[in-house]
Amino acid sequence: MYTAQTKNNNDSFHDKSGCDKKSEPLHQKKFAVVNPCRMCQPMGAVQALLGIEGAMPLIHGSQGCSTYMRFQLCRHFREPINVSSTSLSEGTVVYGGEENLIKALETIKIQYNPTLIGVTSSCLTETIGDDVEGIIKKFRESYLKNHGEEFPPIVSISTPSYSGSHVEGYDKTINSLLRNLTLPPESEEKHDVINIIPGNLSPADVEEVKEIIKLMELNSIILTDTSESLNAPLTGSVEFLPSGGTTLDEIRQAANSKITLTLSKHADSGGELLNKRFGVPHTILPLPVGLENTDRFIETLSSLKFIETIPSILERDRGRLLDGMVDSQTYTHGRRVAIYGDPDLVSGLVSFVVELGMEPSIIATGTKSNQFQEDINKITKKTSQEPVVINGGDLYDLHQQVKKTGADLLMGNSYGGRIAVAENIPLFRVGFPIYDRVGAQRICILGYKGGLSLLDQLTNTIIQHYYDESGYELLN
Amino acid sequence: MQINGHLMQNKNNSHQQDCVTEDGKISSSDLANIEVLKRSEMDIRVPEIPAGIINTLKSRKKHMCVKKDGTNSIPSCNEASVPGMVTQRSCVYGGARVVLMPITDAIHLVHGPLGCASCTWDIRGTRSSGSELYRNGFSTDLQERDIVFGGEKKLLETIIELNQIFEPAAIFVYATCVVGLIGDDLKMVCIEAGKITGSRVIPVQSEGFRSVNKSLGHQLACDALLDHLIGTEPPQNKGNANRKGLEDQQNTDHSLNILGEFNVAGDFWAIKPLLEKIGVSIQAVVTGDSTVEEIAQANLAQLNLVQCQKSSRYLADAMEELYNIPQIRVNFFGVEETSASLRAIAKFFNDPQMMETVEKIIKSGTEGVEESIIPYHQRLSGKKVAVYVGGNKAWSLIRAFEELGMEVLLTGTQNGLPEDYQRIKETVRDGTLVVDDANAMELARLLGKYKPDLMVSGAKEKYLSLKMGVAFCDFNHDRISAFAGFEGFLNFAREVDRAVSSPVWNHSPKIKAPAKPEILTAKSIENNQKGGD
Repeated sequence: MYTAQTKNNNDSFHDKSGCDKKSEPLHQKKFAVVNPCRMCQPMGAVQALLGIEGAMPLIHGSQGCSTYMRFQLCRHFREPINVSSTSLSEGTVVYGGEENLIKALETIKIQYNPTLIGVTSSCLTETIGDDVEGIIKKFRESYLKNHGEEFPPIVSISTPSYSGSHVEGYDKTINSLLRNLTLPPESEEKHDVINIIPGNLSPADVEEVKEIIKLMELNSIILTDTSESLNAPLTGSVEFLPSGGTTLDEIRQAANSKITLTLSKHADSGGELLNKRFGVPHTILPLPVGLENTDRFIETLSSLKFIETIPSILERDRGRLLDGMVDSQTYTHGRRVAIYGDPDLVSGLVSFVVELGMEPSIIATGTKSNQFQEDINKITKKTSQEPVVINGGDLYDLHQQVKKTGADLLMGNSYGGRIAVAENIPLFRVGFPIYDRVGAQRICILGYKGGLSLLDQLTNTIIQHYYDESGYELLN
Repeated sequence: MQINGHLMQNKNNSHQQDCVTEDGKISSSDLANIEVLKRSEMDIRVPEIPAGIINTLKSRKKHMCVKKDGTNSIPSCNEASVPGMVTQRSCVYGGARVVLMPITDAIHLVHGPLGCASCTWDIRGTRSSGSELYRNGFSTDLQERDIVFGGEKKLLETIIELNQIFEPAAIFVYATCVVGLIGDDLKMVCIEAGKITGSRVIPVQSEGFRSVNKSLGHQLACDALLDHLIGTEPPQNKGNANRKGLEDQQNTDHSLNILGEFNVAGDFWAIKPLLEKIGVSIQAVVTGDSTVEEIAQANLAQLNLVQCQKSSRYLADAMEELYNIPQIRVNFFGVEETSASLRAIAKFFNDPQMMETVEKIIKSGTEGVEESIIPYHQRLSGKKVAVYVGGNKAWSLIRAFEELGMEVLLTGTQNGLPEDYQRIKETVRDGTLVVDDANAMELARLLGKYKPDLMVSGAKEKYLSLKMGVAFCDFNHDRISAFAGFEGFLNFAREVDRAVSSPVWNHSPKIKAPAKPEILTAKSIENNQKGGD
């Protein structure tokens, strides 16, 4: 239907070994993961910890874990990222990781003096069976005895890399922070504050959530807030611990809030914990991507304020988004799109593209989830074509499916670039990691404003690929 | 915790706050000494770098030294990093993977939980002229039940499946931390899988925790090649598509391998035409843009050129012993080093015609560079460089910088061995600061204190440097053009110039509000305009 007028890339992902020839039969694989679409639990934990002011993440494991994660984070956010390691090696593995863990905690205190240390385990230390909680408890006691002062708070998170994914790692970390640090409410009287658990979003998206809350004249505690530390201005100096972000005090006070709003369904266990333990009401919303989801978010906020009128700036921004959707519809309507990434992000994007009249032909996530399947079923109930859902697959599966089902456009992280080149379709970059374009930390897709910026760029990507310089659709 | 960098220091002229020497003070004479580091060829002045190089942990101090004649001038190295430091080092698996991954028509299967593969696939800018198979990320994705019951069965099934789908020339199987703990017998599974598939299935015992840094991984990767690939016949049911017949080689008596050349950004492609012109044939590049069967026949070459000694000296030594192949060290970064390397090759083959060609190539290569390099030289001359890298670049780039008139103030590696530092010592001039396994905070302090005009390092250090206002060049995975050979030297000069001479460094990070805001009036605007004319 649409011709390929962009660069001819016949030789780039096509392989003598048969990997990606269009004529090859589609292979169903059962065992291997080829071109992963998820990361391991400690990665999610680190991302959550980077949103806490003055916190240092410590990975209890081999050096490679922290180094390769830092590599991925640095190239995506284009910021210096500090994640320390207990640097386990052969000798220490035989006798357990206790000595290295204690040494690491001491070193971090001396070198960085953080407000908090978040210790995440790894497949290595989970398998050798280090009792991290126990070691920390003993260490804190002896530190107090020897130094006459309390060691900074330590939160440990069990994140074995052989189960779940970074999505669970993120959720567990928020949960662990609240479980270990949040104090019981001071009184029956709730503070005029709402807790927001945004999920693992880009710094610009967290900032947009904060902006909306400010416009609604609400106070909030963001769990956790990466908007400053992972999108830092150049000042001529370098920070070793996140500056800005959620303070320890805010986490401690979270039980005094009126309500917890969780914006990512896969990061909901922290809100549940506050609800069960301290009776803080908990509402889970879909990620506010697109018109309907953002409406729901704003409606929920306004119900908390007991106001019926929405601030005029938000009304205006909503009108602008709608205006943009109308302006773009000739380009977007009927366009088939394959979307991949983290479950909540993908659900949000699918919801938006359906509003635009696009057709999600393939919907994929690397993290297997029933919730995701349910969400997608609900969103795509009314679409004319039933999408193929890859739940817990990889990018090889996605590529095979693109060849079979077809798509005019890909939406997802940079790793899809080679599929896009091989199939000669454009890739709209969103998610993590994005390393082959600048500005990943500034990609904003949430709310009306983020939605509009997403819409404009998405539409222009389509125009660039499928229309000529005079604006006519390219023909076969 | 904050460390001030270049921009702020320059603009505000403030004193260095965080960068204190051991006795807690920096004297103005120390700073003056650093200033006179700018040297001309005629007048070499050795600066007195303060005894306390920067403030750091006591146990880390011996990892930094200043090169001086008559002293040891080699820092402590090859020791475990201090736990809790933000080390720039990686793991044994990482070390093995960098050496083997550029074998293009092979599957590189990571046996372990998914994270090890998902953080490391397709991250190295090593290029291929043929298969792109090596760029895919393959994992056995071990789950909790595999940790409990063992992952051997899953590994075997995964290998069989992948072989069927992709028909690779070989499958390299990398062990990760957890595989070492649960006791999977990698070798046994690979033998069995080899029998079933008829393919080369090669185990790499690279459990991440096996050493304090990745150097052991380099060695284990070389072991995998020596034990399972070099000098072996291809499996019978495989075509010989990629196997060069000896009769095809035009110049069998002048054949060589290049060890430790990874074709990052196409570096090998810059060296290849030079070697072809002088009449040698390249048997195998270990490993860059190379196929499994090329490497299997590497034992047939007459000479090994060793480019990255760090990763490949071990292999060169073993091949010398096993196959009687002599080795020479080469370096194709910079005109001087490229010329010397070409001459060394010609000298080895002792071929007068080759020697003549080499001189011709050097002459035309040098002439081609000479004129084009002038504007870069003018802009870059006297600028100071800090180099902190993973491998041979800690010394191999030094001459190239000097050819641009720049001076290397500081050099170091994350994981150097004593012989690496020996080589650094031979290469750098007196007064150069040499650091081992510097962590992020130490690097920031070094940058803050010694204020180089350029930092040369990898992706993890890039934004630390830029945030401090120090220009940066990536010479690792993320660089975009080939730097080797004569033309590569021009790319190198251009890249360095782009980084150092960019006007973005002239802007102040702070808005400077005037002490007394001037109220603009019609008259003052008129005056300003007059002044402007």
